[in-house]
Amino acid sequence: MVETGHFALVLAFALSLVQTIVPLFGARLDNQRLMAVGGPVAVTGFALTALSFVALASAYANSDFSVASVWENSHSLQPMIYKITGTWGNHEGSMLLWVLILTFFGALVAAFGSNLPATLRANVLAVQGAIGAAFFLFILATSNPFIRLNPAPIEGRDLNPVLQDLGLAIHPPLLYLGYVGFSICFSFSVAALIEGRIDASWARWVRPWTLVAWMFLTGGIAMGSYWAYYELGWGGFWFWDPVENASFMPWLAGTALLHSAIVMEKRSALKIWTLLLAILTFSLSLLGTFLVRSGVLTSVHAFATDPARGVFILCILTLFIGGSLALFALRASRLTAGGLFHPISREGALVLNNLFLTTATATVLVGTLYPLALEALTGDKISVGAPFFDLTFGPLMLPLLVLVPFGPLLAWKRGDVIAASQRLMAAFATALAAMLVTGLFIDGASVFAALGIGLAVWLVAGALTDLAVKSGVGSVAPSVMLRRFAGLPRSVFGTALAHLGLGLTLLGIVATLSFGTEKILTMRAGETVELSGHTLRFVGLYPAQGPNYSEDRGRFELIGVSGSPVGEISSAKRFYPVRQTTTTESGIKTLGLSQLYISLGDEAKDGSVVVRLWWKPLVTLIWGGGLVMMAGAAMSLMDRRLRVGAPSRRRKQASAEAPAVLP
Amino acid sequence: MTRKQKRLSVIVGGLAFLGAATGLTFYALGQKASYFYMPADLTTASVQPGQRIRLGGLVEKGTIQRGQGATVAFSVTDTHKSVKVTYTGILPDLFREEQGVITEGSFGPGGVFVADSVLAKHDERYMPKEVADGLKAKGVWQESKSE
Amino acid sequence: MLFWVIAAILTLGASLAVLLPLAAGAKGASSSGDHDLEVYRDQLSELDRDAGRGLIQPAEAAEARAEIARRILRLDNADTAGKASARQASVTARLVATVAVLAVPLVSWGVYSQIGSPDLPAQPLSQRLAKNPADSSVDELVARAEAHLAANPSDGRGWDVLAPVYLRMQRFSDAVAAYRNAIRLDGDSAVRQAGLGEAIAGAAGGIVSADAQDAFEAALKLDPANAKASFYLAMALAQEGRNKDATTAWQAMLGTLPPDSPWRSAVEQALAKSANPEVASGAAAKGPDAADIDAASSMSPQDREAMINTMVAALDEKLRQNPRDAEGWMRLVRSYVVLGKADQAREALGRAIAVFGPGSDEAKKFTALAASLGLTATE
Repeated sequence: MVETGHFALVLAFALSLVQTIVPLFGARLDNQRLMAVGGPVAVTGFALTALSFVALASAYANSDFSVASVWENSHSLQPMIYKITGTWGNHEGSMLLWVLILTFFGALVAAFGSNLPATLRANVLAVQGAIGAAFFLFILATSNPFIRLNPAPIEGRDLNPVLQDLGLAIHPPLLYLGYVGFSICFSFSVAALIEGRIDASWARWVRPWTLVAWMFLTGGIAMGSYWAYYELGWGGFWFWDPVENASFMPWLAGTALLHSAIVMEKRSALKIWTLLLAILTFSLSLLGTFLVRSGVLTSVHAFATDPARGVFILCILTLFIGGSLALFALRASRLTAGGLFHPISREGALVLNNLFLTTATATVLVGTLYPLALEALTGDKISVGAPFFDLTFGPLMLPLLVLVPFGPLLAWKRGDVIAASQRLMAAFATALAAMLVTGLFIDGASVFAALGIGLAVWLVAGALTDLAVKSGVGSVAPSVMLRRFAGLPRSVFGTALAHLGLGLTLLGIVATLSFGTEKILTMRAGETVELSGHTLRFVGLYPAQGPNYSEDRGRFELIGVSGSPVGEISSAKRFYPVRQTTTTESGIKTLGLSQLYISLGDEAKDGSVVVRLWWKPLVTLIWGGGLVMMAGAAMSLMDRRLRVGAPSRRRKQASAEAPAVLP
Repeated sequence: MTRKQKRLSVIVGGLAFLGAATGLTFYALGQKASYFYMPADLTTASVQPGQRIRLGGLVEKGTIQRGQGATVAFSVTDTHKSVKVTYTGILPDLFREEQGVITEGSFGPGGVFVADSVLAKHDERYMPKEVADGLKAKGVWQESKSE
Repeated sequence: MLFWVIAAILTLGASLAVLLPLAAGAKGASSSGDHDLEVYRDQLSELDRDAGRGLIQPAEAAEARAEIARRILRLDNADTAGKASARQASVTARLVATVAVLAVPLVSWGVYSQIGSPDLPAQPLSQRLAKNPADSSVDELVARAEAHLAANPSDGRGWDVLAPVYLRMQRFSDAVAAYRNAIRLDGDSAVRQAGLGEAIAGAAGGIVSADAQDAFEAALKLDPANAKASFYLAMALAQEGRNKDATTAWQAMLGTLPPDSPWRSAVEQALAKSANPEVASGAAAKGPDAADIDAASSMSPQDREAMINTMVAALDEKLRQNPRDAEGWMRLVRSYVVLGKADQAREALGRAIAVFGPGSDEAKKFTALAASLGLTATE
């Protein structure tokens, strides 16, 4: 089984080469047969990669230590779920997951792309194949997960305990679906450059892919943030760590792409810019992969460092980013520019959005790469952390967030700011009221807190206003209004939900940063502590034995108003003997939208324990907002206009049943 | 305004915006980036009290003292020089004697380094990269051949 | 064999994915203009829907409709211009097709033959543990015991049996945990405490630390005649540099030890060393292994050979589990030669070379070593 997986991987590599070359020639020679090869090869390549992945996962599940990567990252005593998730909890396996998702998206284009112009489809599959070929080669040459050990060791070296968590089951797959999803937008852009023309269907195809990738990337980042929050025991949700930035940059650029693709689809404007943005977004995804996988950065994500891998990925990076940008420089002038618009219009607002988002992406890029460049050039080691980003990223985001509610209310081509402002009066009043209430009535609220809460409420109210205005609140009878509301295009709901989610996330961040409280103290069994109106009693430390670890579990009781316990929280210090590693399991109690967070420190000689406690008001909104954004993207995906129009011979069937062309 | 003038004003506005953003970025890099030092570097570098830096090295053996509450004092050394550090909070799980550590904070008035964050190595396979590089440069630490 | 069949089937399937579209007749393709037209039509109907719902003003809708109509007109012009493209260069196409069809089996079998291990079957742990115990290696027996203890962690007797095995295998930290579990579940005993002390010392590279001392002292409290504990406590004194006290302690031991005690020779050896401090400090650093070997040198010839044999066997086992240890292999080969077991030496040499690959630097070193020992590889 293991060797079957290995062979399937090699075979998938061979097919990716065919997928690169044959359709490309087919499109050049206008040869239908050669172009037709792309589809079946892409689907078969995906099937083989999936077979390979299943083989590796089953080696992990069965603790087959004759596979080197299993031996290094698994242990027979691990619970089954961590045995399986351990498949991608290491460099080799995670790269296999990466190409699995890449080939999956390629197969989707092949399976659902029958309504694309043949040459465009062939070129897209060829570019997708080329990316696949490069990464298959990378895996086979430097990171082969199927290297065998003979004789097989009897026991493995265990998965890094920090990764032995459900988060590993969700975070990397979501993140990779996002990262790699942008490869489709990239392939479409490069295909358009190869052809030298942008079809009308181009934007209609690229936008749903952007939405899919963006949706998963949003989920991946939110999940990663929550995972770091509860697993690392530091109570923070975002550290401006280079690895986090590596996933945040494609998200920012992808958000810009999402918006410019709307302009392109609706108005055929901003074509060249959208194309460039699609290339940049995937380039940033590749850069993220490079930063994380090359060992240039050290963090929990750098499973192991190997210079050969870094050099190899750098080559891939240079080839694809350099190649696509060179192609862009050569061919962009051939593409025809699109429609004109007035600066104050929906298009204008979206351009402004792009300007802010790309500039913000650039500041994050500078903050992430500058320390690396400086060290390479001068040897000075600096770290760029939250203070830098607060000063640069913050001021860029503020005006953008203020402007967000205006965008959807402006008309295409020529908009009316005054009319839009009038419609937003109610939202503005709500935000102002929230700001005043925060500033005047909550103890210890700073100006920053009041402004932040006001801005968050502004975003939420603005999103709701958009829905209200479009369903005609105040201008038509209630029954008509309801009918209109139900009949609104799904994408309108999608926009509103995404902007609403953004507001909720902001609300969570501001509330947690401004009103969160924290205490560090030593406690003995039986002592109580009070934190922001909550009384906690330390019950004591209890040793316990897990499947592959032993732990000291500190139990706390939440004391209610009556003086009797109303809930229990426990935090633990775990010791994993195989790796001789200790981890902290934080204790979290969710009360409404807020959380009590407990992290256990060392035990002192006299039996008391260092305890760190946080009260984090509305903290769950940070990730809840991310979920709402995802829901918005999903809603937009269901919009019927994003189901790409098929040529007329299919149109007749299509009119009978709505074609479900997209995944 | 003619169409040309309009377009020009949009372009000028965009460029001004980008210029402002670039200026802000480099100003922030100058102000907010914190430099990394090993204890021996501090004799040559002039670090003002209150200036944020990152200090890395090994936790010197036998210097960890638990004070009142959750305050801990220890020394960070590169085997040539050592610096006294105090920190209030929970030390990372991997904080041990003679292990690599990076602390971030600034020097207090008494010449004691007051850290507000302490990072230890993430797993047993590596040291913080800066510390490893620094120790290698000082000839203290050789890379183990096994990894 | 089964693997090759599967590989052949997979290759065939992959080749067919390339071959079938090439062999199929070309379908009448629609030009890209058709697709564009379709999109514009869709945009028009969407515009009508939005206008019907009152989402956009009639004037705006009319303007947008005019814009789409202009795009359609432009499309017609472009389309007539693009129709002229000729279908030539079928020679190139045929060449590309041939190369593609051949590439799949050639690349895959070529690459796989370089990097694959086709003869190595999958070895799931459950399968390996289900083997007949008599065929199992010590490691596998230990793994089986571990699996049992993982399921029944409160089986004190199990831990008690496993702990000395760990100690013998030099898995000191596991031994520490096992002894602790045995003591926790089955209660204190001098033997367990002394074993715990030895394991702690072993984990620290032979240094008798304070923790180890505590354990030895606890053992002596339970059984003042426990030789292991007395020996190591004296060793602790020696390690602190208190050679005189250590010597006194060891001499006192000699006085009380029964004449046939295996510890007698170890103590004598230690005494000889403490008389010569340079050697003593070296021996201390090497830890109990060194003491064992020294003990062996003063044992009866049969005992010594038995002890050396077990140690060599342990090394052999360790290399089976952890084969990439060139030093270990050289030691093993040398040991077998010294023991006069030329066959086993040759077999170990063969295995060592197989681990690192016949052409590797290590293999050359092995061959050189074998030559210097007068041993020739059979292969």
